[in-house]
Amino acid sequence: MNGTVVKLIGAAGLVATVAAGCSQSMADPKAAGGAVATAPASAGTKAAWLRASLNTMLQEHVYLAAAATNAALNGREAEFKAAASALDDNGVGIAKAIGSVYGADAEKAFLPLWRRHIGFAVDYTVGVATGDRGKQDRAVNDLVGYSQDFGAFLSSANPNLPKSVVADLVKHHVVTLKDVIDAQASKDQARAYAALRAAAGHMRMIADPLADAIVKQFPEKFRG
Amino acid sequence: MRIAARAAACASAGAVIALATAAGAGEVRVRLFQFSPAAVEVPAGARVVWTNDDDIRHTVTAGVPERRDGGFDLALEGRGATGAVEFLRPGVYPYFCERHGHMRGEVRVK
Repeated sequence: MNGTVVKLIGAAGLVATVAAGCSQSMADPKAAGGAVATAPASAGTKAAWLRASLNTMLQEHVYLAAAATNAALNGREAEFKAAASALDDNGVGIAKAIGSVYGADAEKAFLPLWRRHIGFAVDYTVGVATGDRGKQDRAVNDLVGYSQDFGAFLSSANPNLPKSVVADLVKHHVVTLKDVIDAQASKDQARAYAALRAAAGHMRMIADPLADAIVKQFPEKFRG
Repeated sequence: MRIAARAAACASAGAVIALATAAGAGEVRVRLFQFSPAAVEVPAGARVVWTNDDDIRHTVTAGVPERRDGGFDLALEGRGATGAVEFLRPGVYPYFCERHGHMRGEVRVK
């Protein structure tokens, strides 16, 4: 199993999988996410729509990430590739959502930053699968460092989002996803799914304040 | 290719070095994990000043991630930090952020 996992999600393989998915998904409507097709016409529901959309996309991120790690840990290559591709489509959709508010340059800067943390999660999964404690620890350190990057990005985009607050929320996301991967690796299904529900549920702690901060930053866009 | 460049980094948060008003000075803002403008053109002998608007450490490192050329390497420690490089010879000088390799920029010296 260890050799299969490394083969599946070695860094080069994942990059190729993600890139192949990306080149199609940028022009593909499904890149925006199935639940985020169009905004409602009524200005009064725009803020609620934004909050619901961000929650949907961020929860989807957790479920797809867990699907990819579970497939990788269990040597299901075709499933891993499909899940990784869908995970990248989700990331492209989140980047587009950022771009819809902050412009194309912000979208262009966000996506590689987002993909970076997925790479660190891959590193952690490989470390777990191969029993490499050093690799696990480095991946966790990278993810904690990433939380500062993500906090800084959103803080630059929106002054209503303090860097430290966002960084702490992302750190918690890292911890909850780590719990999922650990449970999957131990083949404790009950624990894995409990951890998955907790990880997905936590994304509301990021999506809600992000939506609120955007509405506060651009009240004219959400008036109603 | 080695370039003759003098680099000065000011890492104090909140300190901003006023740009020289002499013709030829270039300015690059580092914001939202991008160098803006991505490409700046200056005459030979001019300085380019980078100002970090992000609350995170970025670098201005000569070359590309796969091959640094050692020409300059500025550390911009956080919001408000600035650094400058004087470019004496014509040419195109790519650079990137060592911490965030997708961040790329270019100085074109006439």
